Amino acid sequence: MAVCSAYTTQSLNSTCSISTPAKTHLGFHQKEVVFYRRSSKRGGSGSSSGPCVITCSAGDSQTVVIGLAADSGCGKSTFMRRLTSVFGGAAEPPKGGNPDSNTLISDMTTVICLDDYHSLDRTGRKEKGVTALDPRANDFDLMYEQVKAIKSGVAVDKPIYNHVTGLLDPPELIKPPKILVIEGLHPMFDERVRDLLDFSIYLDISNEVKFAWKIQRDMAERGHSLESIKASIEARKPDFDAYIDPQKKYADAVIEVLPTQLIPDDNEGKVLRVRLIMKEGVKHFSPVYLFDEGSTISWIPCGRKLTCSYPGIKFHYGPDTYFGNEVSILEMDGQFDRLDELIYVESHLSNISTKFYGEVTQQMLKHADFPGSNNGTGLFQTIVGLKIRDLYEQITSSKTAAPLEATKA
Amino acid sequence: MATLFTLNFVTPRATASLRDSTKGSPIKVPYLNQPWKRVLSPLESRRMQVRAAPDSLSEKVEQSIKEAQEACSDDPASGECVAAWDEVEELSAAASHARDRLKDNDPLENYCKDNPETDECKTYDN
Repeated sequence: MAVCSAYTTQSLNSTCSISTPAKTHLGFHQKEVVFYRRSSKRGGSGSSSGPCVITCSAGDSQTVVIGLAADSGCGKSTFMRRLTSVFGGAAEPPKGGNPDSNTLISDMTTVICLDDYHSLDRTGRKEKGVTALDPRANDFDLMYEQVKAIKSGVAVDKPIYNHVTGLLDPPELIKPPKILVIEGLHPMFDERVRDLLDFSIYLDISNEVKFAWKIQRDMAERGHSLESIKASIEARKPDFDAYIDPQKKYADAVIEVLPTQLIPDDNEGKVLRVRLIMKEGVKHFSPVYLFDEGSTISWIPCGRKLTCSYPGIKFHYGPDTYFGNEVSILEMDGQFDRLDELIYVESHLSNISTKFYGEVTQQMLKHADFPGSNNGTGLFQTIVGLKIRDLYEQITSSKTAAPLEATKA
Repeated sequence: MATLFTLNFVTPRATASLRDSTKGSPIKVPYLNQPWKRVLSPLESRRMQVRAAPDSLSEKVEQSIKEAQEACSDDPASGECVAAWDEVEELSAAASHARDRLKDNDPLENYCKDNPETDECKTYDN
């Protein structure tokens, strides 16, 4: 939907021309057409024969930007796939472009990997003795410029960081989507980029769980051993704690993954305790709650109506403070074994922004092969995806409402 | 712990070399001939899915681990050591993503994505 409004401006120029300035006195990055009319009378005060400026702005030229911070680089990670699936369609790499591109594009969303803004490639970092976690290895100015441009509807040529070769490849064109997700190590590190984000999420994996997941991931590779995996985690820890971890206080939602408390001395990391920490007072975002908003609830769904297998499921909900911010925390410990457990839990959660009963269950089942589909990680990722969809719809409906009011006035 | 993994020594190399040379054409998936190795029930963990990443990446991972161990033998706290282990982490992540991509290349799914109305691909949901 495009809204066009006509303004008259006083101008001493008297030539006919059509120009499309990128930025006018109105200060918007919009397509504008300026019509100049030859006027024989000059210097008339308040004359209506001055040139007209007609500005047109498309209703959805403002992209909604979501930031996702997580360790260990980017890629076709589970959260992104769940998120894009909530909006419909599968996200795929851009067709016909660099096959090692990190970007994912679907109908509604485009996912950009922030590794593409590395200022140093792999050899450069090795020479300087700097990890990818270090801000010195990233070009935050370029990141800010390009995210700002995409947000205001301008396509950009974004560099590509090739994870296989470790080099910076020639840029690819990114057209502004309806929803832009920037995923990587530093989405909230730079203050200017942070201000551009409409919503931000931080995935906080505890050390024990991180170790267990990396073992699962890397033991298949020749050359890796338990010692090498441990050494790799230990070596990156100082930079991680200094640069990445502090971003969690800025996040609107934090998904914290911890070892379970239901099984004493569990070190396999299969059963997880997941906490969804939601900041209060965020625009267009209302936290999920159990039974009664703002109170403290402890809930074990297994009992007479629902039978669960060992170790069962335990929920907790309550208000809290997190790095000085008011938050609500929804916590799930345990695993889903059956479909009816999932639907039972969903029916008792409130404010999950589903469009129909059972949507969360349906989304979880659609991706039952993804890791975390049977515990809180998949559940909360799906719920956050639905909250983002709700946020997007609220933002776009408020934007279409505003120009309508302007034309009425 | 090694006995839990099923390692296909022969076929991954064939698929890997095929993949390198002809990106985009359908790949012969070994699991079509050995279906018992393929299917997992939903909600089950992925610990049985083990296949090495394409050779070049695997070799890179191996080499980077050796280099990191050498770099750290002198000074564990130096920038070179940390950067070397970071490289190992990056390559391991890339290898794991490559493995996932290999796994996702089901020829039937790929065909049905483009031709959903053919007999093999019709779904009767409603």
